[in-house]
Amino acid sequence: MGGRLRISLTISCLLLIWISASASIPSRESLGIAPQDLSYYKSDVIKCKDGSKKFPKEQLNDEFCDCPDGTDEPGTSACPQGKFYCRNAGHIPLTIFSSRVNDGICDCCDGSDEYNGNVNCPNTCWEAGKVAREKLQKKIATFQNGVTIRKQEVEKAKQAFAKDEAELSKLRSEEKILEELVQKLKEQKERIEKAEEEEHKKKEEEEKRLKESETKANELKKASKESSHDSTDQAPELHNQDAMEDHHDSAVEDKNDYTTETEISDNQAVGKVADDHDDTIAKSGHEADGRSDGSSFSHVEKQGPVSDSTEGLSREELGRLVASRWTQEDATEENNEVNTAKEEGHEHDEDESEENHDGYNSDSDEDHKFEDDDLEDDPHTEFGEDHEEPTGAYSSDEDDKADYSDLTVSGSSSWLDKIQQTVNNVLQAFSLFRRPVNISEAATVRKEYDDLSSKLSKIQSRISSLNEKLKHDFGKDKEFYSFYDRCFESKQNKYTYKVCPFKKASQVEGHSSTRLGHWDKFEESYRVMLFSNGDRCWNGPDRSLKVRLRCGLKDELADIDEPSRCEYVAILSTPAVCLEEKLKELQQKLEDMNTSQPSGHDEL
Amino acid sequence: MPSLADRSPPILLLLLLLLLLLLLLFFSAASAWKKDEFRNCEQTPFCKRARGRKPHSIPSLSAADVSLSDGAVSARLLPSQPLRQATAGDDPESDRDPPRPLLLRLSVYPGGVLRLQIDEDPSAPRRRFQVPDVLLPDLDNRRLWLPRLSSPAAGSSSSFYLADGFEAVLIHDPFEIQVRWKGSGEPVLSLNSHGLFDFEQLRAKKNDDEDWEERFRGHTDTRPHGPQSISFDVSFHSADFVYGIPEHASSSLSLRPTSGPGVEHSEPYRLFNLDVFEYVADSPFGLYGAIPFMLSHGAGSSSGFFWLNAAEMQIDVLAPGWDDPAAPAKGRIDTLWMSEAGVVDAFFFVGPEPKDVLRQYTGITGTPAMPQEFAVAYHQCRWNYRDEQDVAAVDAGFDEHDIPYDVLWLDIEHTDGKRYFTWDRVLFPNPKEMQEKLAAKGRHMVTIVDPHIKRDDSFYIHKEATERGYYVKDATGKDFDGWCWAGSSSYGDVLNPKVREWWAEKFSFQNYVGSTPTLYIWNDMNEPSVFNIPEITMPRDAIHYGDVEHRELHNAYGYYFHMATSNGLLKRGNGKDRPFVLSRAFFAGSQRYGTVWTGDNSANWDQLRASVPMILTLGLTGLSFSGADVGGFFGNPEPELLVRWYQLGAYYPFFRAHAHQDTKRREPWLFG
Repeated sequence: MGGRLRISLTISCLLLIWISASASIPSRESLGIAPQDLSYYKSDVIKCKDGSKKFPKEQLNDEFCDCPDGTDEPGTSACPQGKFYCRNAGHIPLTIFSSRVNDGICDCCDGSDEYNGNVNCPNTCWEAGKVAREKLQKKIATFQNGVTIRKQEVEKAKQAFAKDEAELSKLRSEEKILEELVQKLKEQKERIEKAEEEEHKKKEEEEKRLKESETKANELKKASKESSHDSTDQAPELHNQDAMEDHHDSAVEDKNDYTTETEISDNQAVGKVADDHDDTIAKSGHEADGRSDGSSFSHVEKQGPVSDSTEGLSREELGRLVASRWTQEDATEENNEVNTAKEEGHEHDEDESEENHDGYNSDSDEDHKFEDDDLEDDPHTEFGEDHEEPTGAYSSDEDDKADYSDLTVSGSSSWLDKIQQTVNNVLQAFSLFRRPVNISEAATVRKEYDDLSSKLSKIQSRISSLNEKLKHDFGKDKEFYSFYDRCFESKQNKYTYKVCPFKKASQVEGHSSTRLGHWDKFEESYRVMLFSNGDRCWNGPDRSLKVRLRCGLKDELADIDEPSRCEYVAILSTPAVCLEEKLKELQQKLEDMNTSQPSGHDEL
Repeated sequence: MPSLADRSPPILLLLLLLLLLLLLLFFSAASAWKKDEFRNCEQTPFCKRARGRKPHSIPSLSAADVSLSDGAVSARLLPSQPLRQATAGDDPESDRDPPRPLLLRLSVYPGGVLRLQIDEDPSAPRRRFQVPDVLLPDLDNRRLWLPRLSSPAAGSSSSFYLADGFEAVLIHDPFEIQVRWKGSGEPVLSLNSHGLFDFEQLRAKKNDDEDWEERFRGHTDTRPHGPQSISFDVSFHSADFVYGIPEHASSSLSLRPTSGPGVEHSEPYRLFNLDVFEYVADSPFGLYGAIPFMLSHGAGSSSGFFWLNAAEMQIDVLAPGWDDPAAPAKGRIDTLWMSEAGVVDAFFFVGPEPKDVLRQYTGITGTPAMPQEFAVAYHQCRWNYRDEQDVAAVDAGFDEHDIPYDVLWLDIEHTDGKRYFTWDRVLFPNPKEMQEKLAAKGRHMVTIVDPHIKRDDSFYIHKEATERGYYVKDATGKDFDGWCWAGSSSYGDVLNPKVREWWAEKFSFQNYVGSTPTLYIWNDMNEPSVFNIPEITMPRDAIHYGDVEHRELHNAYGYYFHMATSNGLLKRGNGKDRPFVLSRAFFAGSQRYGTVWTGDNSANWDQLRASVPMILTLGLTGLSFSGADVGGFFGNPEPELLVRWYQLGAYYPFFRAHAHQDTKRREPWLFG
């Protein structure tokens, strides 16, 4: 079978050579001219295409450039602006720069660009064309499937979008009702507290009177002091409990927040040190007018007040210091090479993590960091980021859903009615005029208040996160809607790249993560996603990432590169850009290729 | 954590602030080029002493026993009169033994070349270094045999034939060398006309307390052989301008005076091969290469002077009136030449046309090697083209935009951990295939090979060099261990012809795995650059082959390295393929081995401007195949600057674009 194929291929090649030898070497007049242009060159006096001149037919392809635009020399390299057409039967026709004509290098697969005999260019169009056609066919197949997937995705996206919008409007009305209820409860709670306070005061006064009647003044004083102390102590404790209760139904992750906050004081200290460390780096870099003194890194600064002094440096430190002028890198780094052991590489890792993450060591820290970051912004802008899982492409949707399940699932009016009822009952049941204040009733009011305000704040945060989401541009057909809750990952050597559309992109190495950019926008009519304003480069620009989108059946991130320092590029295959128009274009191209085949090949 | 300042009393706070302010001032003043990292003349004892002398202020020497021997003039130089008592005064090292005579020899070469050699007599405690392998090997065979010596004025001078129309004169007391027109007696060139000739002879230490050490920026130069400098004045008669003595960055082709009336404080022109970070565009400080060759040009004629000496050299161009403000000389330029060590081996070129001077100079140091055709075309370089994909994309970019280019370059990152002759296995897994793809389009590739050798026992080159003792030694006799790109590194002792041969072998296709016949070489960092030594170069007391101190040959180190590389490529191609080797360091004679460029310039207009006189100067001193990094190595050129630089660069003999790794990509089509 294989043998037969080879024989038939050989025959076809021979055939092809024969064809090209007999038919495809054109006369001087038609050299390098596209078939559709042949008529243009028919007359005896020909105009330059730019209208600047005319030339007689004898001067066509005479190796002398008459027309500034190269009209008269389509088949030679005489005109700098010229273009040479190769027919490339069996493959696609090609127009090349006329500088490639007879330059000793085969450019056209039919060899027509090298005709002066200096080199012999075999005709490779059939093989090359076959490969190209196969490639194109594959691409078309991908597009065909991709278009279908895209349609489904777009449908889903539209539904999801509508659902989100519906949820938003529902949440808004719930918010309104809840706000009212909470307000009522709050007022009631305050009244109770006021009453309690009065009661307490009375009691105290009574006690005071009793105590005054006792003999030892000193003891008395001491006792009263203690009691007042107790009461001040109690307040924050109570508050803490409130806080705990606030969160009591909001699952583990809020608790995490709480615990992190306490842990963080330690970590913060560490982070602070790292911060300081970074500051010196950054400052010295600036002082030195940007690039010139990239060498002043922290441990040198610390050596002495005049950081330029190289005395007291070990010979290795000095070497690194000087090298770092050219590399602009922290001199603890070992110029991307590894011999002097991995320890150094490791050191570097740590440095970097400090630099980029202000002492970030654990996930809980990261939570904390995000909160800090977003304080001035919406506190939930980046909600869900902390739940990234180490899969290629994943969604944080489930987490979201779990978090709000009690709201979305019970988002029926009956749920609200019930609450309204309960609140009203509570409010009515409680009598303000009974003294002493009924403790259990007061507790009910408080509990109800806490529950509801926690629910309210949840609804509000969900509203703001929905607002945040819906404000984005998700493409013509909202085809990128599902990207909002997803991240794409790709591992390249020691780095893992994470791209979270509409949010951010980062480069992760071990525990250190470098932000390549925040979501900026789509470019080139949704063919490029731009992330900008990432972490600042050492004496360089802010990092940025351009993700080029390509039609593919799966969402896959690949080919991350850094062609210029700190300017990253990547390719994301996704059905979202498998457009029908493009498919038609490709099909047309294949058709053209097939029709341009020399007739002798059909028998294959 | 409270900062220090929070706890400190206000005075301390104030002091801290002041210190900070000072630091800031310091940094802004020394923005890029670290002037104070390099020795100036004041900090260089031999330069300071020589520069401080007045004409005819030191005891003069006279020529005795002037005679012809072996077809050349020989004489002994002795003090003119008994040593005056207590001349020490301002001259701390003049407290010497009664000097031994110096041996003088004058010889003549065809075409108008006079050679003057002055060295100590054989009784000196040590042989002074004479730079080998710079002069053409057949030079001695070409020497003219002087038939006679005429002493016209009652033995006060001796004159002899130099070239048709020219004669050389040795004036006996005080000794002076003159080159002059035969008929008119008009002088062309002269040496020691101002009595500044000084030759510190080697001697034993006066007593054990005598301190010969020199300290600079925390480093001590042991100077075990003590002071040994040489200085003298050279006059270019009928000259309005002098040129040459690269390498300096300057906005002027002619050398501006560095001393004398009308000159504000200036350093002399320094010839000391150094890796200078972000050099400034206009300064007499030394850069990467040294050619101690000066040309003069005036209304009447041109002439030249070359001092074959590879030690640190400082040269003053003296403004008219420097010797006598009342009567400034017209149409004459005086110069003061100072060197830390070595001998006098000087050449006078009579001209009289500029092209004659150049012919005479290249007649002894050689003419430029004929470059291959591709080498004079456009070169595309960057630190770094990252991997094979990057290379392919850049190559395709040129085709796509119909921009001609012939050579693609790979900087240090292509190697496996800066072990030259190796490839990074991840980034360049198929170097041969990559080169062959380029070669299929008639293109070439250049990779970098620097002289620092990574001290890694698993690296075969380091292993071989260590085992065979091929490294330069430090002052204590151990292999010198310095810091460069590769980290801890040693340097091949390329003064040794055997080491050069060994190095050349490394370029064979068999030894340089992954190399193909279309791969050529770039020698960088060969000043040599050593990051952790003051002035970023090898210590002067490092020891080379034949017990030569680094101070004696420093300026020629890069030359020998360039030579070894170039010979390696010649061998590789069985002598049938002309080598292409770009070198950053250079010396007189480098033109025979390849091309040079002006090193790490910056992307600004001043440097664009300075590149023109710099490259013209190289051309005037024999290195006609030279260029500057198009676009500027450091920094990002604005599009207008880049366009202008390409326009200018097309006229550089060596036309290469290059850029630092931190700069934005600037392949020519990226600017629309």
